[in-house]
Amino acid sequence: MKVKSNELLTGKPEAESTNEQYKHNMKLSQLILISIAGLQFVSPAWADDGATTNSVSPAQVAPAGSAEAAEIEALKNEVQELEQKVKVLEQQNARKQTAAADTNQEQIQALDQQVRILERQRELDREDAASAAKTQPRLTVGANGATFSSADTNFAVSLHGLVQVDSRTFQENDNVPGNSSILLRRARPILSGTVFRDFDFLFVPDFGNGTPGAASAASTPSIYDAYLNYRSSPTVQIQAGKFKTPIGLEQLQPDAYTMFNERSLVTDLVPNRDLGFELHGDIAGGVVSYAAGIFNGVGDARNSSNIGFQDNREFNGRLFVQPFKQTELTALQNLGMGIGGGWGEASTTNTLGLPASTGGASSSSAGYFTDGQQQFFAYTNGVMADRVHWRISPQGYYYYGPFSLLGEYVISDQDVRNGSRSASLHHTAWEIAGGWVLTGENATFNGVTPKHPFDPRIGQWGAWQVVGRYADLDIDNAAFPFFSNPAVSASEATAWAVGLNWYLNRNIVVKASFSRTTFEGGGQGTGSAASSPPGSVTTHPEEVFFTRVQLGF
Amino acid sequence: MKPILRILLVLVLATVANAKDIKLLNVSYDPTRELYQDYNAAFTKYWKAKTGDEVVVSQSHGGSGKQALSVLNGLAADVVTLALAYDIDALAQNGRLLPVDWQKRLPDDSAPYTSTIVFLVRKGNPKKIKDWDDVVKPGVIVVTPNPKTSGGARWAYLAAWAYALDKYGHDDAKARDFVKRLYRNVPVLDSGARGSTTTFVERGIGDVLLAWENEAHLAIKEFGGDKFEIVTPSESILAEPPVAVVDRVAKKHGTTDVAKAYLEYLYSDEGQDIAGRNFYRPRSEKAAAKYADQFAKLKLVTVDEVFGGWQKAQKTHFADGGTFDQIYQPE
Repeated sequence: MKVKSNELLTGKPEAESTNEQYKHNMKLSQLILISIAGLQFVSPAWADDGATTNSVSPAQVAPAGSAEAAEIEALKNEVQELEQKVKVLEQQNARKQTAAADTNQEQIQALDQQVRILERQRELDREDAASAAKTQPRLTVGANGATFSSADTNFAVSLHGLVQVDSRTFQENDNVPGNSSILLRRARPILSGTVFRDFDFLFVPDFGNGTPGAASAASTPSIYDAYLNYRSSPTVQIQAGKFKTPIGLEQLQPDAYTMFNERSLVTDLVPNRDLGFELHGDIAGGVVSYAAGIFNGVGDARNSSNIGFQDNREFNGRLFVQPFKQTELTALQNLGMGIGGGWGEASTTNTLGLPASTGGASSSSAGYFTDGQQQFFAYTNGVMADRVHWRISPQGYYYYGPFSLLGEYVISDQDVRNGSRSASLHHTAWEIAGGWVLTGENATFNGVTPKHPFDPRIGQWGAWQVVGRYADLDIDNAAFPFFSNPAVSASEATAWAVGLNWYLNRNIVVKASFSRTTFEGGGQGTGSAASSPPGSVTTHPEEVFFTRVQLGF
Repeated sequence: MKPILRILLVLVLATVANAKDIKLLNVSYDPTRELYQDYNAAFTKYWKAKTGDEVVVSQSHGGSGKQALSVLNGLAADVVTLALAYDIDALAQNGRLLPVDWQKRLPDDSAPYTSTIVFLVRKGNPKKIKDWDDVVKPGVIVVTPNPKTSGGARWAYLAAWAYALDKYGHDDAKARDFVKRLYRNVPVLDSGARGSTTTFVERGIGDVLLAWENEAHLAIKEFGGDKFEIVTPSESILAEPPVAVVDRVAKKHGTTDVAKAYLEYLYSDEGQDIAGRNFYRPRSEKAAAKYADQFAKLKLVTVDEVFGGWQKAQKTHFADGGTFDQIYQPE
């Protein structure tokens, strides 16, 4: 006999089983519905603690002791078991979730610690770097050159440079061979620095225009500045070595910042660089500047040699006041006036006691020179500086916005000897020079800084300045004829000049100017005296066109 | 004018005429800022009353070793109040800035107060740190400064080493391994104790800070007991921060007398009270009794007992190539 699947389940024949199955299913369906309904009513309390409630329970639906009630009870138990299983599963799940959350929390905390540690390490690294930077030497490179300094800046070495490529084109008086030229006017590597905070030094050799005092054609490298300066304070400083003598205002203006290629006739009468000791300083933030020193003593416009064996000395000094420098009066802040001067005695053995030989026919041709660096006055061979030489120079400048004005007057009174004849020659010179920066930048004693440095790609063209100057140098008539030949040397030179300066940036400057110098006296030489300075120079007015390309840093 | 009035007038004028403005620089270690702020005010008042002179005391703080180096390199300290004697020895031996027997010039080997190393943990002590053994457990993050630059760190290092020696029957190899495990748990080395406090307290890094006792109390005072708690280990080290006049500098400044008085006043009742108030253990019995409640009792060993003095400890552990260099591998 074939046993059907339902029989296996119920133990009854299929037909009977089917009928009973139907009834059973119906009851079960009813019971489930009732159970669900009951659960909906009673589940919270029932499920939790089995406490008796006033709700209707499935057992109350069927009569007590009936088969249906038993089935309901069995089903109820099944439901309870299921509920227990669900509870267990839920608890397991909750535990897993809690464990996972704990793990996540720990991981988050560990990561948070790692991040904090990394951040702190970075912070400490930065602190260490900042601390180390305080002790590390610094290298800075910029428009002001390259500087290598200790962290505390007590030690520093700076490299600067000045290169000037000039041209001079003479117009009317071009009968002196070689005067028109393209030349390397200055080529100076400049080394400056500080040691032990308070000691400054400067070393400036020149590989350009030549040995001081030599004829213009010479081009021997020489030392221009070499000094040590002790800064006790800005007010009290002591300088020793070779440096500019503190007399002439135009002479003291840095070479890179002069208005024209060459300084004016007035600078012919003041010394250039000399060997000596100087006490100097700025008082009240530069309202008063002073300098006073003892020097070997050199002739007008001369540079000292590096050694000078002579017994006599020269005393030079300068006082300069800018009374409004520290006031709110901006229009007057850069008004300065002062006086420089010096006194010394020279013996006839002092070969540098007479003026420089710049522009002369030979290296021994001491005299004075024009804007074009040609000698227009020369002492006769055999003339020597003898005894007293004094100079005085009232001076001043005014800078306000793009406007600049500089004026200076100099008396150079020198005792000279020629054999048995002697004289005290009283030479004078003065100048007035002014400028206007067309592009509006401020003009200063230390040049012009363009607001918009040259860069045509963005339409910037630097700064432009027009400049003009008038100067005169008057030779004492007592110089003629015993100390100078009046046929060839002028007794007076008067010069005017105009120019245009183009400041491409702080480092590059291009200049163009024209200068005309007229003479009184001279121009009457014959033979070789007429063909060499000063005879050749004083024949006609000097007209010269200058250009300059300058790199300074 | 009566003679007595004349005498009084002369004395007043002499006092006024002689009154000076004096400047002192106290170069100290990291966690003494608050102590010396209090103390300087008290000393200034005391000195003014005694001599009529105004004293302005400037302070400089940093890791003790670092500070000693700064003085050697020219920091013009009239007095030094550093974390440990070795750092002042360096000034005497390497810089000849004061005599080598400087420690004998003041009582208690020139250490007017003491301190020790304790644990600062986060409130509730989540890592259950009770003693040094807990600090070396894997997974515990320890914050302590660099022993190369910090005096406090050197004290902490030696405290751990001393504990391990006791624990392992004076087996140096095991002590070394113990301390190595400790530093394995140190992710950040600040240069000074104050930096480490910042790391732990303000940056929220780590489970435990090996702290100067006074620094731990200050952290709780400043940031509240609801954030941190102090755990005192069963054993630590007796830290004796010394003080000294830097003779050469003081002589140059003309401050020798006032510098001496400045340090001597640390031993006065007021000086000792200020030390106790700032959570340093005073030397005087009176102040020690007054502040006894704020200091836990624990076994304290000394550097001399366990390590044969600072010179030897420094050479063995903290000199270049020493034990610390060998065991600490920065990540």
